[in-house]
Amino acid sequence: MITVNNRDQLEWSPNMTVQDVLNHMGHTYSLITVTVNDKLVEDEDYDSFVVPDHAFVSVFHLAHGG
Amino acid sequence: METKKIPLTINGIETTVVKGTTLLNAINKLNIDIPTLCHHKDLTPNGSCRLCMCEISMDGKKELVTSCNYPITHSITVETENEKVKKHRKNLSLMYLGRYPNVPVIKDLAKRCEAYDANLFKSEITEESTNACILCGRCVRACEEFIQEKILSFAGRGINRHLTMPFNEVDPHCVGCTSCAYVCPTGAIQIVDQMNNPANPELIRNHGMKVNAEMANLDPYQCRMREVGTANIVEVMDKYDLLPVHNYKFGQHVDTPKIDSKVMKNHYFTQGHPDQCWHGCSMACAKAVDGFKLKTGPYKGHKVCVDGPEYETAGGCSNMGCFDIDFVVEFNFYCDTYGIDTISMGTTMAFVMEAFEAGVITTKDTNGLKLNFGACNEVLTCLHQLSQGEGFGVEVGQGVKFLKEKWSKQKPQFKNFLYDIGMEAKGLEYSEYMCKESLAQQAGYTLALKGPQHDEAWLIFMDMVNNQIPSFEDKAEALYYFPLFRTWFGLQGLCKIVWNDVSPADNKKHPPQQAAKIPEHVDNYWKFFEGMTGIKLDEEKMLNQSARVHNLQKIIGLMLGRNKLIDDIPPYRAVGPVTKEEYTSRSERYDKELKEKIGIDPTPLSIEEKMQKIREYRMHQYHKVMQAAFKRRGWDEFGIPKIERLKELGIDRPEFIQILEKARQEAREQN
Ligand code: SF4
Ligand code: SF4
Ligand code: FES
Repeated sequence: MITVNNRDQLEWSPNMTVQDVLNHMGHTYSLITVTVNDKLVEDEDYDSFVVPDHAFVSVFHLAHGG
Repeated sequence: METKKIPLTINGIETTVVKGTTLLNAINKLNIDIPTLCHHKDLTPNGSCRLCMCEISMDGKKELVTSCNYPITHSITVETENEKVKKHRKNLSLMYLGRYPNVPVIKDLAKRCEAYDANLFKSEITEESTNACILCGRCVRACEEFIQEKILSFAGRGINRHLTMPFNEVDPHCVGCTSCAYVCPTGAIQIVDQMNNPANPELIRNHGMKVNAEMANLDPYQCRMREVGTANIVEVMDKYDLLPVHNYKFGQHVDTPKIDSKVMKNHYFTQGHPDQCWHGCSMACAKAVDGFKLKTGPYKGHKVCVDGPEYETAGGCSNMGCFDIDFVVEFNFYCDTYGIDTISMGTTMAFVMEAFEAGVITTKDTNGLKLNFGACNEVLTCLHQLSQGEGFGVEVGQGVKFLKEKWSKQKPQFKNFLYDIGMEAKGLEYSEYMCKESLAQQAGYTLALKGPQHDEAWLIFMDMVNNQIPSFEDKAEALYYFPLFRTWFGLQGLCKIVWNDVSPADNKKHPPQQAAKIPEHVDNYWKFFEGMTGIKLDEEKMLNQSARVHNLQKIIGLMLGRNKLIDDIPPYRAVGPVTKEEYTSRSERYDKELKEKIGIDPTPLSIEEKMQKIREYRMHQYHKVMQAAFKRRGWDEFGIPKIERLKELGIDRPEFIQILEKARQEAREQN
């Protein structure tokens, strides 16, 4: 199990990447910053960075509009 | 899976880069110095000077390439300083030196490339000036890429090639943005400041230029403001369950793709260039639809130009259940033409439609109009009536507050329902964000002194999606900073869009609480302020400037008998589910909330009981966050500024104190 944004629980699976987490959460926003266990993951690594089990993933959406 | 990282070797050093990175950027990443002339970090490379030449080998083949515009797609080996490369650069430098012997950047370049004899390749035309134009083309690209104009270009051939404006005359389309001068390596383009005596025009220019560069380089991958403007938010809001649908009952709809930015861009927008709403602005977020044939109203059959639609207009239409793009454009046109705000009209009609569908009002109340959700034609009829001062339109034109008060008097059995679903606060209709799942946003809207206006809609992602301001104190801090920041740059006449509709590439380096403020862009604003006034700002000074105005607004409101505690309480639709239909649409979320946050097992409860428990809990939470926000602002429990706060801000004038003490006394008696 991994925790997203200190709130949502997501079933973990082996070789799960950051991109898989974003897909599961439906996060398609363009201004996103992702950290896994407090380590910043660059955009180009989303589909190769493997998320370990029990990880704390933060998906920060920068507000725009309004 | 396709790999995005490519290994390569540069001067014997192994490294990896993201596919598509230019060779020059890969070289610079290793801190290897190579000469460049036509390249500028913020412009598209064009490979014209050929000084950045390097030798690459791939599959045993060797080749000279210009590194600034060579994208790395395969693993290669690179040499940046071998004899062949050096000879090539030296010859080029000698030619530049032969033509521009006194230009400092050319002299430096020649020295770097060991080219010393200015007469070896002497040009037929030698330019003796120290700031001669060396035909690098940076200015041409800057004008086109930063500001989307084509004021500058080259004319003539061969040795007679030169930089010019059309017909060799000063082009009136030049907005004087100075981007061309900013990127010029020789000073060939000079800036003559003829402005209203700013303290430091260069400071303003340099920071404005940062925004221009971000727009050119980052906007296409971020919010696409140049491409579709604020309409880009339509699909985002729908995806995140935040798009108001059917008077804010829901946050998504299957028909949203019919009115999203893709439809607008592909079939409607015909204009997207800078429209000078902010002189020299490179963002060009305003869009327009040309040749739109109207189907209704006084201009029926005319082909017109429509400014927009923007996000809030589309949101107003989804709120009315009107997912018809032709309707959206026509509604937009007539609201603009009649001088009506699309947000207030959308929210008011959505309220009317819900009251109609719930049977609170009938065709007797609407002069025969069947105002179900999605009744596009009837909305337009109402809009035309409003402009003519006739029929039901006259009532609609007076807004949600008027209608809910009127109908509550006529039909007291519906009073509670009408007050729950009438989405207004302080007399202003809520803007088009469905805020019921974000406590901070509810307060952001409802505590805004001017009413729940759309420029207060920034906390929704921070709170609901990111969960980044979980405690009441965190929310109160955000409710302190963001509205004051907003008030501050509004007071300076600065546009909001360049604050957070494009974000610096390295904004990710900040922790979330800071990143949300976009510190580099706040700094841009401070530099604009300093450049004009000569006064340096920091966060505290900025917030205090703003807080003075904010507190004065509050005092004026109280003086007029407004801005009381009751005005800070939202209609329940802004906070939670009013109807069973709404509860059911999100029952998983609400049942979980009952179990995990309130500590009640929902299983044996009826929907009505569950809704009641959620309501009590959420309104209690709202009151807590409201009190935390008051405290942070230096206000008392009735939302009235404390005298100490006025003293801190230097606005403790006796007449203000008198107004506040009177209001405080009344609040104590009433609450
Ligand atoms: S000042 Fe701006 S608009 Fe005018 S020519 Fe230079 S880049 Fe183009
Ligand atoms: S004016 Fe400056 S930027 Fe433009 S082509 Fe000449 S040297 Fe380059
Ligand atoms: S810098 Fe690469 S060709 Fe000019």
